[in-house]
Amino acid sequence: MEKLRVLHVDIGGCEGCNVSIIRAYPKLIELIDLDISYLRDNGFKFDDYDVAIITGGVCMNEPSKIEKLKDIRKKADVVIAFGSCAAFGGILRFCRGGQEPRPDHRNFQPINAVINVDYSIPGCPPTPQMLQSFFKFFMSGNEARLRLFKVSANIKKLSGFDLLDDIVLTGLCIGCGACELSCPTGAIKLIDRRPTLAQERCIRCGTCYIRCPRASQLLSMGGEKR
Amino acid sequence: MIGITDNLLGSVVGVYLARAKDEEILKRKVASGGAVTAMLIYALEKGLIDGVVTAKRVRGFEGQAIVARTREEILEAAGNKWSIVPFAARVKAKIEEEDLKKVAVVCLPCQAQFFGQMREFPILETDFGERIRYIIGLFCTGTFAFEALLNYLRIKYNIKAEDIKNITLKEGFLEIQHDDSFLQLPLKEVYSYLQTGCLVCTDYTGMWSDISAGFIEKEKGWTVLITRNIRGEELVKGAEREGYLEVRDGSHVMGDILRAAREKLARAQKNMMSLL
Repeated sequence: MEKLRVLHVDIGGCEGCNVSIIRAYPKLIELIDLDISYLRDNGFKFDDYDVAIITGGVCMNEPSKIEKLKDIRKKADVVIAFGSCAAFGGILRFCRGGQEPRPDHRNFQPINAVINVDYSIPGCPPTPQMLQSFFKFFMSGNEARLRLFKVSANIKKLSGFDLLDDIVLTGLCIGCGACELSCPTGAIKLIDRRPTLAQERCIRCGTCYIRCPRASQLLSMGGEKR
Repeated sequence: MIGITDNLLGSVVGVYLARAKDEEILKRKVASGGAVTAMLIYALEKGLIDGVVTAKRVRGFEGQAIVARTREEILEAAGNKWSIVPFAARVKAKIEEEDLKKVAVVCLPCQAQFFGQMREFPILETDFGERIRYIIGLFCTGTFAFEALLNYLRIKYNIKAEDIKNITLKEGFLEIQHDDSFLQLPLKEVYSYLQTGCLVCTDYTGMWSDISAGFIEKEKGWTVLITRNIRGEELVKGAEREGYLEVRDGSHVMGDILRAAREKLARAQKNMMSLL
């Protein structure tokens, strides 16, 4: 089988997702031809790609980044937002400007604020195995398994706050504890069998929402959450 | 809208009726044919797993996550729980505390979904999906908001939580054994004490499991097993080959399972409309 042409571009992140992709690559090398900036000098390797993986959120104050995203969209058949910043805004939502190391930047959005995204994969950062799994199901055409990530592509924000609003406050929470286990910052704790959120610790990565059996069910049933 | 064929049962490799060969398992208070218990004992004794994480009823409806590492511990955990156990975080803690490398988890469809997703899509570095060898999902029509139900039982029937010895689902009613007497509650009466989250759940069999296990009325004394992948299939076949399980074809009960699954889906759609 011919290798997929895969482009990776970081549009403005902390490099965690990039490291994850590099770590995933040894097990993907038979399946994909990865064009990643660390492995080339300049420009893109090809004119078009089967898949583009974008990491990091897009800085809305920087027109060149917005143009770059639009250009990638034209070059790639499928665009994946990899990591919470690209997918849902993530911790970049907290940028206020005047902060190191990128002091001028103050408004970051998920990439689906600028271009159409086909799959959004949350995680801060997602593990290398996540990308390997993704390609396994993607290349075997198992859309059922990827449905959750496909519907996530249309969501612009997802966090512990949404989990509380949509699942806990509606009474849909079953108290299984999946959110507590999935929160990378320990913002969620189960008290009296229901999750509570320490809001200052929530980095808006959306992992809890994707992992909640009830919330992910709502999403994959076609819930139109924006 | 949900596609009925895609979402009713998920992938199915084989459907079997099975029961434990071991008399001791059958004699214990097991939900049906004791096939899950027998399979777990087989997996433990043959070294396929080094522990089983499951829920054990401690009091009334209350369950607690435990690790069973011996035949006796598995036998003690057998039986229905009727409430959801905040499983996820406890499972991780248990696996780490006891340094388990290959575990089987016995859980409800919602929990199977979580474990299945975690195994296939490990988002976090701290995920432990690779340690979960088997996910055994149990057929589920819902779990109780047990604080509320216990309160109702106390007020209306003067039954205290600590006196409840056993709860069994019979045709059309729930039988509660307290001390030495039995109370038969029509399902209609207890329906409103199901957790709201369960009323919108669309998954009856546990589509993310390796093996789904359950019980149907017309095959009393047998466990229905649905294998969903090679891993599940091998566990059932292995347990049969080694004399732990008696297995026969179960394709004739598919209609009943589909009916139950469809009812749960219809209930979910109806409730979803009124709740969201």
